[in-house]
Amino acid sequence: MSEAHSTDDGLRSSVLQTLAEDTRTAALDLRVGVLNGVVHLGGAAPSQELWRLAETIAARVVGVRGVVNRIEAPGAPSPMRKVNIPMGDKPREER
Amino acid sequence: MTTTGASEAALVFSKLPALAGLDAATLEALARNAAPRHYTAGQVIYLEGEPATSLFLLESGWVKATRMSPDGREQALLFVKPMDIFGDIAVFAGTTYPGTVVALEEVKVWTLESATVLDLVARYPQLALAVIRRLAQRVLYFISLVEDLSLRSVEARLASTLLKNAEAKEGKLFVPRREWTTFDEMATRLGTVRDVLSRALHTLEEEGLLRVERHEIVLLDAEGLAKRGNSK
Repeated sequence: MSEAHSTDDGLRSSVLQTLAEDTRTAALDLRVGVLNGVVHLGGAAPSQELWRLAETIAARVVGVRGVVNRIEAPGAPSPMRKVNIPMGDKPREER
Repeated sequence: MTTTGASEAALVFSKLPALAGLDAATLEALARNAAPRHYTAGQVIYLEGEPATSLFLLESGWVKATRMSPDGREQALLFVKPMDIFGDIAVFAGTTYPGTVVALEEVKVWTLESATVLDLVARYPQLALAVIRRLAQRVLYFISLVEDLSLRSVEARLASTLLKNAEAKEGKLFVPRREWTTFDEMATRLGTVRDVLSRALHTLEEEGLLRVERHEIVLLDAEGLAKRGNSK
């Protein structure tokens, strides 16, 4: 397995764990994919606040370069929209 | 899977071009292990970087596969139409899904778990050959996509894409614009942005090669478009 793949696997576990540890997002059963340091979120949330919160929590995980939020929520942007995101040049350093 | 469900799946699979030529026993083995799933327009089927747990056989509706570029721009990988397969590359490569797939309209798929697919491929040589054929077609498609994106102008890409997707009706050659075929979607598909696409369409329209209408793009000069499509 390449280094990038093992890093992405580790990041995915960290994001899933962080979302599970927060009582507000724990019950949402969100889907997470990570490729090249970019987190892709899916699943459903009951409100825009939780839609945004999940993105914020994922973005805070060390090493995440960007978050593509495709979670379904009332009033939130469509998961099928075209997404362009600001991206850090390099993965953040471990602190 | 119920007997009725398996029969329905076997009937659908027998019509899939990617599975053409499979004998009844192989189709039946696939159908016995397949489960139907429905998605509405806009729903995520799988995400880039998710573990590849299933292979998908698309019965109805269109889906779009995209991938995030290193600079954060969404690039369309492919649009999959009914009676085709997707999710296969990751399943056979043993990686996570390389792109995100969303339903563009009401979609019905049949899913096969990755482990089951690998087991069936090992047991049914005809299926293994069909898989190799399908993956080879994918390789050829992505070679042409790389060539398109790196070597050809947006006008050339647009001309050849329109020709590839043209339909003929009552002596007219046209590309229907589905509900989801917005300018943004078309731009993503061509690896460009909406403004550049708009200019390219205008250029080809001014040259008399096509006419943009509300529900379709009419191709007025197929030969001229083919020449444009082959230019740099």
